[in-house]
Amino acid sequence: MNALPDASNGQRDLAVSPEFEPRIIGFLCSWCSYAGADKAGLSQTPYPPNVNIIRVMCTGRIDPLFVMKAFERGADGVIVLACHPGDCHYKEGNLRAAQRHALLARVLEPMGIERQRCRFDYVSAGEGEKYVQLITEMVESVKRLGPLTTDNRGANP
Amino acid sequence: MSDERNRMLGENMRTGVYFCNCGTNIADVIDAEKVRESLEADGRTSYFKTCQFLCSEDGKAFLEQDLRAEMPERIVIAACSPRDHEATFMRVMEQVGMNPYLMQMVNIREQIAWVTEDPEKAIKKTVLAIKAALLRVELHEALERQELEVSSSVLVIGAGPSGLKAALTLAEAGRRVILVEKSPVIGGLPVLYEELFPDMECGPCMLEPLMGEILHGDCAENIELMTMAELSEVAGYFGNFMVKIRQRPRHVDIGTCIGCGECVEPCPVSGPNPFNCGMDEKKAIAFAFPGALPNLPYLDPKLCIRFTEGVDCELCSAACPMGEGIVVFDDQETLVERQVGAIVVATGSKLYDCAPLENLGYGRVPEVKTAHEFERMLASNGPTGGEILISNGERPGSVLFIHCVGSLEEGHKPYCSGICCQYAFKFNHLLESRLPDAEVHHLYKEIVAPGKDAFSLYRAARDNPNATFTRYNQLADIAVSCEQERPQVRIAGRTAIAADLIVLCPAVVPGADAEALGVMLDVSLDRFGFFEELHGRMDAARSKVRGIYLAGACQGPADIQRATNQAMAASGCILSELVEGRKIRLDPLFAEIDRTRCSGCKVCMKVCPYRAVGFDSAIGAANVNAVLCHGCGTCVAACPAGAIKGNHFTGEMILAEIEGALK
Repeated sequence: MNALPDASNGQRDLAVSPEFEPRIIGFLCSWCSYAGADKAGLSQTPYPPNVNIIRVMCTGRIDPLFVMKAFERGADGVIVLACHPGDCHYKEGNLRAAQRHALLARVLEPMGIERQRCRFDYVSAGEGEKYVQLITEMVESVKRLGPLTTDNRGANP
Repeated sequence: MSDERNRMLGENMRTGVYFCNCGTNIADVIDAEKVRESLEADGRTSYFKTCQFLCSEDGKAFLEQDLRAEMPERIVIAACSPRDHEATFMRVMEQVGMNPYLMQMVNIREQIAWVTEDPEKAIKKTVLAIKAALLRVELHEALERQELEVSSSVLVIGAGPSGLKAALTLAEAGRRVILVEKSPVIGGLPVLYEELFPDMECGPCMLEPLMGEILHGDCAENIELMTMAELSEVAGYFGNFMVKIRQRPRHVDIGTCIGCGECVEPCPVSGPNPFNCGMDEKKAIAFAFPGALPNLPYLDPKLCIRFTEGVDCELCSAACPMGEGIVVFDDQETLVERQVGAIVVATGSKLYDCAPLENLGYGRVPEVKTAHEFERMLASNGPTGGEILISNGERPGSVLFIHCVGSLEEGHKPYCSGICCQYAFKFNHLLESRLPDAEVHHLYKEIVAPGKDAFSLYRAARDNPNATFTRYNQLADIAVSCEQERPQVRIAGRTAIAADLIVLCPAVVPGADAEALGVMLDVSLDRFGFFEELHGRMDAARSKVRGIYLAGACQGPADIQRATNQAMAASGCILSELVEGRKIRLDPLFAEIDRTRCSGCKVCMKVCPYRAVGFDSAIGAANVNAVLCHGCGTCVAACPAGAIKGNHFTGEMILAEIEGALK
C-alpha cells in the first residue's frame, strides 16, 4: 500500500471537494486481468465506478504514450493490470509491461504526476476479489490526491 | 491529429449502437433510454437499438435483419463481456456480409451493471464506455483472414514409444510421416527392458505390434523411416517447414539386406557394446541387440579395421548370401530435404549422470550399477543372458536400491522423477522369483506410487519378508565403500548395510540433444531443460511455437502410458489443425511493419516472444511473419520509430478509446 501523508489519519485532503469523482483509465489484458474483472462481475461485488477499462490483447501492447495521453486528456489516474509473472498468455508481455511501467514511473513524478496516480499490478482470471480490492484502493488513493491539474489539461476541456 | 480525423470520419460514417438489456441483468441498473439520450446529444450515433437478449436465437435474428435493413458501416454492441459473445456477434455480421472486425463490444454487464450500486453512476460510466467504443470503431479496418496453402506431412523426431505412436496414428489417418531416429534401432528405451511396470509386460513384446505396423503394416508406405539420422536444419513455419535431415551411413544396403546376420560372425574385431552399457562387446558389424528392429546390422567405422587401420578386410561382405555390395564400405553421409507442415518432438529423456556422485561409488565400486544397467542384466538378450551376476561371477546375496538419486534435491534436480519407485518395486518383484533368498533393501527419500496401477507392486514389495525400507534425507548422507571386498552402504548416523549389488535409480533428465534441438527449432526449454509446453495442463502436447508439438519424456519424466497418450494427443492436434486440402486461416490480429519507417534497430526482434520478426538485410528493415505472430503487440509498443502497426489494436484506435472514455 502507498503510504500517503494525508491518508495516515484517515482524513481527506481539505482542498479536495468531497464530491470529487476521479476519472481513471484501466488497461487490462484480454486473458487474465480482463477475465479477473469479469469474475468480479460474476460475484456481483460492488466497487467504485470510476475506472473505465481499455482492453488490450496483452499488457505488452501498452505504449507508455497511452498512459501519458490518458493523463493529458483528463485522467486523474491510470491502472495497468497484467497477468501474474509466468502466466502471460504471450509468455512475457507482462514483464515488458512491468519494465515499461518502472521506467515511466520515474518520469511521472518530476512532471508533477504523483506516483500513486499510475499503478501497476497483477490480476489473474480467478482473482475477482483482488480486482475489486485494487480498484477500490486505486479510486480511494486518487480521491485523496484530488484532481490532477496540469497545464496541458486546459487545451482539451 | 486524431481529433480532426475522428470528427471527419464520424460525420460521414453510419454507426449503429445495439444495447442489450440482458433481460433484467443490465436493464435493472442501466436505463437504455437515458443512455440513448446522452449519446444522441453527442451526435456520433446514427441509430440506437435495444434488445432483450441479443445472444438468443431471437436476438441474433433481430441483429441479422436489422443489419440488413440499416446497413451500418460500423457497430457498437453494449452487452456482456466480449469474452462471452464477441464471436457470436461476429458470426452474425459475417452472415449478412459485414466485415466482423467493424464492431466494438462494450462490456456493460460484468464490468458495470453487476458491480455498480448507483444507477446514475452506472449510466454515466456506460455512456463514457460507449463513446470510447464509438471513437474507436470508426477507425476499425475491415480485416481479412488470410489463407495459406499447407503441407499436411509431418516430421516426427525420435522413434521411441511416443514417436512411434505419433507416426502410426498420423499414418493411419493417411498422413505422410517422416520418422527420424538417431540410433540404428527403433523402440526407444523400453525395447531394451524385458519386464515393465506395472504388470510385468515384456517391453519388446508390447512394442512389437506397433513397430511391425510402422515397418510393414497397412500404413507403412505412408511412413518414411530414417534410422541413424538427425535433424540438421529447419526453416519456415507452421504448414510450411523445410527440414534437412542428416542421414549417417549405415554401410548396409537397407533395401536388399535380409537381416540374416551371416556378416557378423566372420568380423575379426570387437568393441564395447553401447546397447549393453559397455558391459559386453559387439562386432564392428553387428545388430544393436538380438531382435533389434529394423532387422538390419550396422557397421561401426570406429571399430572396423578398414576405417581404423586401413586394412583391406572384406570378411563380412564375403559372407553375405545376397552377394557383393550389400555391405557398402563407401556409404556416405547424405543430407535429405523434406517439406512438412508440422513437427513432433519425441526425443525422450535420459538418466542423471551418476559418475560425479563419488560417495555412491558409481564407477569406483564395480558392484554399483544404474537401473538401466540392471535392466540390461535382467534381459535375456543382455550381457549376462538374463543372469543377475556380480563381478566375481556369483549371484548376489543382497541387492540394495537407492531411490531418488538426483531427484527431490536442490543442487541436483528438485522434482520427483515419477517412474523410479515403480521400477524399483518391479525389480523387487523380479528378485523374489529369481533370487528368492536374496535380501532386498530400499533407500528412499519419498515413495511415490500414484494411480490405479502402481500400488500392487508397491504392496508386493512391502509384503516381501526379505525387503527393508530405509528413508534418507539427502544424497550426501549416503556413503558406499568396499569393506572386505563386500560393499557397505552407510547412511549418516546409522549402521551400515552390506550389499552385494547396489542399484541406483537416477533422476530422469532432458535428453542430451534437447538444448541443441531447442535452438534449432526455436522452441523454448523449461528451467530443467525439458521442452516447454504451450500450457502445462491445458495444452501440454503443443510447444510455444505453432506447428511444433511435444510428445513423451522430452517434456518431463514420463512413463510409457503418458508418453503414448501424449503422442496421440499431439497427433490429434495435428489432424485437427493441419487438414489435407484445407488452407490455414490466419487470425488477422498480427503486427505489420512499415518498411519505409523501420530504422532497422531490431528491438522488435528482441522483444518478440515467438521469433515472428525477421530481418530483410537487403532493404534494412524488419518484417513480421503473420503465421508465427500471435498478435500480442509487444513489438508495436517497443518500436521507437512507430513503424509497427498492431492490427485491430493500433495506436490510433487505443488513443481514440482513451479520449472517448475521458470525454
